[in-house]
Formats: sequence, structure tokens, C-alpha cells
Amino acid sequence: MKKLIIYSILGVMLLSVTSCYKADNWDAPSARIHGRVIDSYTGENLLSSQNDWSIRIWERSWTASEPTNQNLPVKQDGSYNNSKLFAGTYDMLPYGGPFWPVTDTAKNVVFNGTTEQDFTVTPYLQLLDFETSLDGLNLTMKCRLKAPIRTGLPNLVEIKPFLSLTTFCGAGANSNIDIGEYSNKRIQINKSWQDEVGDSETSNVYTIGPLPVKAGYTYYVRLGANVNDANRKYNYTEIVRVDVPR
Amino acid sequence: MKMKKRLLAYIALLGALVFSQCRQLDLEPKGIMGEPELFGTEYGVKMYFTGLYNWLPIEDFQYYANDGYRKNDWATEKNSQGAMSGEYFNTWISVDNDGFGYWPYDRIREVNNFIQSFPNYKDKFPDETFNKLMGEAHFLRAYFYFGMAKRYGGVPIVTEVQDPLASSEVLNVSRNTEYDTWKFIHDDLQFAIDNMLSDTKETGRANKYVAAALMSRAMLYAGSVAKYTESLGFKATELATQQGLAGMEPSQANEFFEYAVAAGKVVETGPYSLYNKLEDKATNFARLFLDDSSPETIFLKEYNRNSPRGNALQHNYDALMSPAPDMSSFVGAESFVPLDFMELYDMPAYTNPDGTPVRFDSRGDIRDGMEPRARGTMYLDGDELRGKTFSIQRGIYRTFDGVATDIQRGVNSAPINSNGNRILGGKGWTTEINGVTYTITGAHGNFEDQGGENNAFGSAFIRKYINPDMATADVRDWRSDQSWVVFRLGEVYLNTAEALYELGQREEAFDYIAKIRERAGAKVVRPAIDMTMTNVGSINKANYTYSLEKSLQFIRDERQRELYAENHWWWDIRRWRTADQILNNFRQRLLSCYYVADEGKYIYLDEDNRFNRQWNASKSCYYEPIPWGEIGKNNNLLPQNPLY
Repeated sequence: MKKLIIYSILGVMLLSVTSCYKADNWDAPSARIHGRVIDSYTGENLLSSQNDWSIRIWERSWTASEPTNQNLPVKQDGSYNNSKLFAGTYDMLPYGGPFWPVTDTAKNVVFNGTTEQDFTVTPYLQLLDFETSLDGLNLTMKCRLKAPIRTGLPNLVEIKPFLSLTTFCGAGANSNIDIGEYSNKRIQINKSWQDEVGDSETSNVYTIGPLPVKAGYTYYVRLGANVNDANRKYNYTEIVRVDVPR
Repeated sequence: MKMKKRLLAYIALLGALVFSQCRQLDLEPKGIMGEPELFGTEYGVKMYFTGLYNWLPIEDFQYYANDGYRKNDWATEKNSQGAMSGEYFNTWISVDNDGFGYWPYDRIREVNNFIQSFPNYKDKFPDETFNKLMGEAHFLRAYFYFGMAKRYGGVPIVTEVQDPLASSEVLNVSRNTEYDTWKFIHDDLQFAIDNMLSDTKETGRANKYVAAALMSRAMLYAGSVAKYTESLGFKATELATQQGLAGMEPSQANEFFEYAVAAGKVVETGPYSLYNKLEDKATNFARLFLDDSSPETIFLKEYNRNSPRGNALQHNYDALMSPAPDMSSFVGAESFVPLDFMELYDMPAYTNPDGTPVRFDSRGDIRDGMEPRARGTMYLDGDELRGKTFSIQRGIYRTFDGVATDIQRGVNSAPINSNGNRILGGKGWTTEINGVTYTITGAHGNFEDQGGENNAFGSAFIRKYINPDMATADVRDWRSDQSWVVFRLGEVYLNTAEALYELGQREEAFDYIAKIRERAGAKVVRPAIDMTMTNVGSINKANYTYSLEKSLQFIRDERQRELYAENHWWWDIRRWRTADQILNNFRQRLLSCYYVADEGKYIYLDEDNRFNRQWNASKSCYYEPIPWGEIGKNNNLLPQNPLY
């Protein structure tokens, strides 16, 4: 009798454990898509920031309803990568970044195994001749703006300094130091290129600062400028490392 | 044998009973009211409407910034819309572009059900009553659509009671354009104005003038959306804007501004006047929100602390806006007035022309020369509430030999703030200077060792809507029941003024502004019209993406002076399409009071907030996304709103 009870308890326990194991009838998503977003002026990757904007994708092999878009975030180095997508055909569109709207959606890109898809975009602005100079504990940054296409260019909004204590630097970077001492030094323009710069393709030098920094720290800094399009994202300079002496 | 027979008889009897009852189960239940009871009598209709009134999209005390109406949560007043839009320091809520999925088609169905079936009972009512109730239904429907249109732009206009078993082609409705949606709201309200009566006896219930007041507000919103959406630049990339679902054309603006003006004129034919019962203009302005018999009030949402809790008809405004323990017996205040908003009013000079801070004999002297309306809106040092006096001071300077800007916005590293010259402290801390002991802070702030609660950041607590007649012991959660003033004549005047100015009728616009400013006790009642163009706003010196005449900016500021803390500001900066620029690194400034020990005087300084908080909004804030769950059910709601 005792044995019977023990066996039946054991049996129930065994059942309860095995019932947890059940194979999914659908394979885990494993298709990978990656690529670069190329600046049409430089041929290099677009200077970007983490969390600033993303590439929209719509799965067209899904036909049960109108697919809503998924987003593939573009990284600071202008590349993107996602290795956990369902295989299928997708439409892709770089969307909401600091460039002239991309109208030709990449149609029916097949995601299967590893797929590489690059995009070329035309930035609104280029930030040229970026310079930093350190005077004691005051940092000054300089740049010039260039707008190769000025017809239909939305108004310039602002030029803003970004400082960070990690190599990630930009508006969307979590490590961006967001304090009044820095953001109050941004240059607010809110004018058309014609009113601000005139007929020229390239602006005069803008100087931002002095920005107080701390002795002995290493900063990663850059400038960003944006125009008043729907998304108001920044075009950036490259990131420069600034070592403040002790 | 006999036993068996009796048993059989019982069974037969039981069986007869059981089966005979089946017939009676078909009866109409007496406890539930059906359509004839509700739609057949005026009282029944009133009961039917009560539920709808309860759910009108009114941003009142119990509106939780990112979380919906009638929240019935003790912390709602701390998490108000003003805390989200930067109107208040200190509870810090960021703008949630997704909103809370407001989608009141269930309520709209109830209204449609009434509008569809009520004509069957027409013979039971005199024409006037029938028309009045029909008008009221249209008012209710317009209010729900207004709640959606200001969030989503164009939404599906559903005017009939859908059959849930109909085919999906019928049920999957498409969005109407934003223009059509606002026009629909106009038409419903016009119907309400034409059919409702001018009887204003029943407060808390709509009449012809309430419908007109909603029309005034809604049409001004529509006009601004039409005029300024272009400045957002959505058209280049956004399908919803290209199709007219989110956004209108500037050429459509004047039509709506004209509707707003016309609606304001209807309100003016009603028995309303600006509240002017009391001699003292500051107290008069404060009482206006507490006096249910105010001739300025057009529509109230009433609360009642004695009703059952489940009805959600109590709120916590006093308990969460007054400092504990002196004036509140609950967690206390966490919303303070930033300097940015105080500056909109007439203020006494606190900085001399040479840049040095003005020396005051007492802290409360800051109130002298301040616009009475500002004093009716906020409590400052020296004001009294519930038998206690406000006492607000940030710290002490041993000596202040310099100009106000020497404090470098209040940072510790500024030379004048270093080496113990500026003394800050916690609650109740004291310091000794030359043998004299001083309390470093005021009794109600600003304490360095405390968080946001009951800690006056800046110099002012909220006074608007605070009920001074409650005893402090009674100021607890769910004990407040002052009404929320949904519409008042002051707002309608401001709506009319703005719409008139947008239509180019500048002098007429300022006739209304003068009325408002006279009641407010402002120094200049009627400023000269200034048609100079500017693109710089007042709050946060925001750089708008379009230019406007300076006098129009003045009218916008006048709205905020008059309507501060009434949950208009967020919707205003949204419809003006300036929210993303005003809330662009909006780092509130605070007015801090210090005692200067070697002089025995007080100074006020303009500082940054200690927590270095800032408010931001992106262009996504102008349209909430159509709730994704609804799109999942109905693909015809696509395209989604801009930027999502």
C-alpha cells in the first residue's frame, strides 16, 4: 500500500515535470539583416547616434492583415544589424533620420540566412572643419555648416554641443551629459538658410562654448545641427576625444 | 402501501410545481429598466445621460496626465497634466506621445442608440422637450468626438448603431479626414445650440450656452490646427497628413475661427458676467473657482464628498497642493509655480537697473506690485491659509556684495556661493552668525535634505482651486469636493479674442482682452497693438518655427495668465504647434529668496532648479497614434498618424 502511494506520487511528479516540456511548433526567428547607411556626399557611413532613428521594415510575406512596421535601430557608426527576424520578404525604408526623405522603398528584400542591404541617403547638412580647443577647464567647439541642397531645405533649427564620458556621444546616447551648462550654450537659429547664411553653400564658423569640463576626465564630444523637418534629428560632426589634464 | 401512495402524490405535486414555473420565467424582469422606461420619460432620459456626463473627456482634478480620465487614484493630482507640460515644478512626468488609447466609441454608441430610437417616443413629449433632449445628445456626442479629434485628428465618424453581426466590410470603418471630423463636431454643436433651451437652472447639465462654449473652444482648436500644422513639415513624408487625416490646410483656418467667434457671441447672449463679487481683486479671482453660484461659470463638473467612494466623486486637490503638516494632513504639496510662469504677470522689480538684487525688508514684500490675479493664482510668503502663514526661504548669504548674475544660476562653484558665504540647509536647521542664531530656511521650504514633497522649490504654492474653508485636519485624501469649472466666461472671452485676432480684427480682440485684464487688476488694461513680427515666445524664449505678431503672442500669454493651472496650457501649445519648441530643453527657473545677514534684508534671485530637470517634447506629440489594438482589429484605420 505504502509503495503504491509512493509510486503514484512519483508518477504524478514525473508527469508534472514532463508536461513542462513541449516543443514549439514554430522555429525561433533566425534570419539576419545587416548593412550600412551611406552618406551620399562622403561615401562613408552616415555620422549618427545611438537611438536617433531607425530603418522601417514591413513583412510582405505576412498577408493575413496589413503589416505594421518594425524598426531596426541604426547605430552610432551608421550601421544596423538584427539577427532575430523571421525569414520572409520585407520592404525596407530608412525613415526619420537627418536626411532628405527617401522615397524609393527597397521592395521585397528576401531575408533568409544572412542578408546584407546598404542604403544611401543624402544628409540635409554637413558639419565641416570641426575643431575643439581646451582653455584650462573650458572647452570650445567650432564648426561650419554646409548645405549642398538648399532648395526646399527646411529652416535651420539649432547647433548643439554633445559631451559624453563614454565613446557613445549624441542626442540619443544614454551617456549624453544633459545639463544646462551645455544645452544653454546651443545656438538657436530658427531661420532659413538664405536668412542665416545667404547664397553661399557654406556658412561662417560657429563657435560654441565655453563649456565647463572637469579636470582629469576624458570626454567624447561632437556638435550636431538640425533642420525643421518632421523629425528634427541631428547631423553630426565626428566624435573627438578630449583629455582634460589634471 | 399507503406510504408509497403518499410519496407518489408528493412527487407528482413537485413535478407540477416545477413545470408550472417554467412559463413564468419568460416575464420581463421588474428591476431592469428598458428603453420604454428610459426614453419614454424626461426623468428616464436624464438617468440615461448621467452615465454619459460622467465620462465626458473633461481634464479635471482626476485627469491623470498620461493615464486617462476619472482616474480615481490618490496620486492623480501629483501626476497632473500641468506636471507633464512643465506648468508645475516638481513632479516630473515626461510627455508620453502614445497617450492612453482614448477610444470612446462605446459611449458614442450609447448616444447614437438614443438618437436613433428616441424619435419612437416623440409623441410622449412636448416638441420643445423632445428637441431639447435631442440637442443634448448631440452635445454629448460632440464632446466625445472633440476628445478624440484633439488627440488623433481625423477619426471614423460613426453616427449609427452598428450591428455587431454585420459583415466586416461594414464594421471596419475608415477614418474621416481631420477637416470632416471638426466639421462634424461643429454640426453636432450647431444642432445642440439650435435645439436646446436657454434654461440655466440645472448646473452640471448642458444647455444652449454650454454647447456654444464647447463650440468656442473646439473651433479655436480646429482653426489653429489648420493654420499652423503646415509649419511642422509633415506633408513631405507623412501619408496621414498627405491624405488629410492628420492636419488641415491654412486656407481652412478662417472658417473655424469664424465659428469660434460666432459661438462666443451666443454665449454672450446668456446670463453670464465676469466674477466680480469681492472688492479685493486677488481674493475675488481665487473665489471664482470656489463659488458654485458664480455668474461666470457656464458649466460645472460637480463633486460630492458624501457620495459613495465607488462613484469617484471626490478628489485630493487640497491635500496634494497644500504643504503638510501645516495646511494638509496628507502627503502634501508637490507642485510649485516656476519663475517662467510668474514672470508672465506684472511683477515687482527684484533686480535693480545696476544689476544688484533689490533689498526687501521682509520676504512677503515680493507681493507688492504683483498683479492681483497672480496673487489669486498662487500663495507666496506671508499669505495665510487655514490659520497658518506661508514661510518660504531658500537660504542665507552672510554678505551679498555683487550683482544678481554673480550667482551663476545658483551653482555651488560660483565664488559668491563658495567658502560658506551662501548657507543652505535642511528642514529646521539653524546657523549662527556673529552670535545670532538663524533658521536657514522657511517653514515650508526650501530644504536641501528633502525631496519634492512639501518643499517649496521657488517661491510659490498653488492657490487656484484651493479651498481655504477646510480645516487642516480635514484636508486628507478624498475629502475635497469643490467643483471643476469646465467652461467659464473668461475662457470664452479669450477664445473669442484669439479667433478675432487671427481673423485680423485686432481692436475688437483687445476689447475682450481689456475686460479680462480689468478684472485681473493688471496695470495696463489695454496695451497698444504691436504688429511687429516675432518668432520668439515668452516661456523658455522658445523659437517658434513660424512668426506671429507680437500682440497675438500677448493674447496667447494672456490665456496662460488667466488660465494657469486649469489644464489648458498643454492643449494650447499643442494646437499652436509650439510644444516641441517650448518644451525644448525647458529647464524651469525658480525664484529663490535669501536672507542677507550683514544687512538684515531679503533678496530674490533667479536660479536653475536644483534637480536640473528639463521638459522635452518632440513633434510626435501633436498627434497620438491611433491605438494599435484598434488597427489590429481594423486595418482600414491605416495609415497611422505622422511619425509612428
